[in-house]
Amino acid sequence: MSRGPAKAIEDITEGFAKHQYICSEQISTAVYLANELEKPILIEGPPGVGKTELANTAALYYEKELLRLQCYEGLDETKALYEWKYGKQILYTQILKEQMQEVLEGAKGLRESLERLSKFEDIFFSEQFLESRPLLQSLTSTEGNVLLIDEVDKADEEFEALLLEILSEFQVSIPELGVRKAVVKPLVILTSNNSREIGDALKRRCLHLYIPFPDAKLEREIIKARVPEISKRLQVQLVDFVQGLRELDLKKLPAISETIDWARTLIILNADELNQDLAKSTLNVLLKHQQDIDVVQKEVPRLVMASDG
Amino acid sequence: MERVLTDFVKALRNVNIRVSPAETLDATEVLEKVGFENRELLKNTLSLTLSKTPEEKEKFNICFNDFFREKLSSEEAAITEPPSISSEQHANSELANQLLEESYADVQLSISKAGEEAEIREIKYFTQRSVFSRRILDIMGVGNLEEELAVLGKINKDGMPSDLEQQLRNELTHLRERVSDYVQQQFLLHGDVTGEQLREQVFKSMNMGQIDRSYLHEVHSLVRKMAKKLANMHSRRKKNFRRGKLDIRKTIQDNWVNQGILFKLRWSYKKVDRPKILVICDVSGSVGAYARFMLMFLFSLTEVVSKIRAFVFSSHLGEVTDEFKSSNLEHSIESALSKYGGGSTDYAHAFSDFVSLCINEIDKKTTVVILGDARNNFGPEKAELLKSVYERSKQVYWLNPEGKYRWNTGDSVMNTYSAYCTKVFECGTLEQLERVISTLLRTAI
Repeated sequence: MSRGPAKAIEDITEGFAKHQYICSEQISTAVYLANELEKPILIEGPPGVGKTELANTAALYYEKELLRLQCYEGLDETKALYEWKYGKQILYTQILKEQMQEVLEGAKGLRESLERLSKFEDIFFSEQFLESRPLLQSLTSTEGNVLLIDEVDKADEEFEALLLEILSEFQVSIPELGVRKAVVKPLVILTSNNSREIGDALKRRCLHLYIPFPDAKLEREIIKARVPEISKRLQVQLVDFVQGLRELDLKKLPAISETIDWARTLIILNADELNQDLAKSTLNVLLKHQQDIDVVQKEVPRLVMASDG
Repeated sequence: MERVLTDFVKALRNVNIRVSPAETLDATEVLEKVGFENRELLKNTLSLTLSKTPEEKEKFNICFNDFFREKLSSEEAAITEPPSISSEQHANSELANQLLEESYADVQLSISKAGEEAEIREIKYFTQRSVFSRRILDIMGVGNLEEELAVLGKINKDGMPSDLEQQLRNELTHLRERVSDYVQQQFLLHGDVTGEQLREQVFKSMNMGQIDRSYLHEVHSLVRKMAKKLANMHSRRKKNFRRGKLDIRKTIQDNWVNQGILFKLRWSYKKVDRPKILVICDVSGSVGAYARFMLMFLFSLTEVVSKIRAFVFSSHLGEVTDEFKSSNLEHSIESALSKYGGGSTDYAHAFSDFVSLCINEIDKKTTVVILGDARNNFGPEKAELLKSVYERSKQVYWLNPEGKYRWNTGDSVMNTYSAYCTKVFECGTLEQLERVISTLLRTAI
């Protein structure tokens, strides 16, 4: 028992590494606990550190389907949870008009017609006319899945409230159909870029994982896994350079995804070591603001020197 | 096991990490899975369940290390401390014997006992730590031990301390460390945050002009906290305006093609206008301090206010918006105050500057906020300038830091100006300021 969890966490780390996702112990612990306790993980951290990728990898690792819900302002339950197929409902009423006539044949007065009709009313609000959106799909799937709710901070606060029932009880109530409970509880991963504070109620129901920028060692391993064709020397230089960049006062710091892009760029350019000209001409891969590029241009000689040492 | 956890949660709460009972339950469940054996694993798992923001995680790490340090050091001690008395000399004092002979756990026990005697539970502030350490050491009889050490030192005239003395000195240093660790841990447990809360309360209800400069930093963080609360409140309220509504007109229009059967529904969304605020602050000597807090407050609210421009004046008026957009707010406020402050107040001049600068910017969505005591040094009033601002804008608020009873006394011309204000407020304390800004945000949209 006491060796159990530590071993399981190691397994996760290794399993993820096979899918080219190098993770710190923190991350694999979170995945382990989420799985054991059947609790969602809320991941925060700067953009580009692999929050979304974690969900992708988890789906690959557990060999389950990934359902993704991208959040945006104005997202509501009709897009996230379910919607009635209005068009189909109206079409069917048109087509079924004659049948209705038959049903109503011989009925005397409004009251009797209504009584007869009310026996059939529920047809139009049954599974057939229910359009499942990612959240409901995730709950009703029988094979289990990984549910990624991406950038939950972009959605409105009302949407958070909608999530509460799903995340803690793994069920949703549809007024016309009753409560739908999850067949197999999905592994839920929420990500947030912290553009606004997530409500306490939601936070309380989740494990909270913060993924910071990686340290040099971890970043080198990530580069090695993602861009295996890179030369050892270039890889070390590259990572040191980026680590140096993160100490500067920039508008947007380069994240892992940028480092990977840069590594790929340098490979295409057939570089096997980093020099000043190369760094200067490819800075726009790493930095996304002109002001940042201007600031860094001046620092390039120093940074290249440092990464050489 | 549960006892340790609840103690730890209490310690976390004391460093201002909010832990709900539900989270404590989660943590218990987690502990059943992972146990206490693996320190790193324990830290990771508890951090995942108990701390929920990056700042909290940082505090959590510190608190975890403090709290579980003792356990760690007891393991270390078990390895590094061989029970050896090689000296032919004998220790006399009780404590010395205890230190030399008893096991680590026993000594720890007597530290706890002494702690209880010293009423360590009463510890409230971190400044009390050394007092309590001293008290515990006294109860344990350090005085005797020190005397004995002094005697031992005298015996060894040749300057080389004997084995016994050396050992005792080591033990004593070690004991001091352990006691201070113990006190630190107890402080985490029992010292509570009421002290801090009390201070905040005092700052909130104190007249802003009276707050000493040395507290500015603390007050600034308090202001930020208050502003954040307001921002949260109003961003939520704002959202309510945006509920989708069925747009009947558009729906019917769009569905003509379907013989008027409503296939496709159209929804109308109300667009939210975030308010535009222009602030004019008097920064002459008497009101400067208030202006500082006012600006701090408003510029911490950029989340909910889309556009804010700030002007300061004493005799002439200047715009300081760009300075405030920079990261170091405290610094920029200081420089603005020293640049424009100091002169004698001239409202007429300031208003005419303001009108010529940005009268065209003012429209029916603009709120103009004026902070000043309306003391004009018996100069001209030029209320018609304020009138023109009032007529173009959505609303004009005047915040006066002076108590109401002093308005219109001496050279104060509050009455004249208040005729052209939507509302006037007395605004001397942070609490009043908070209330005013809350009203402002509610009405400005």
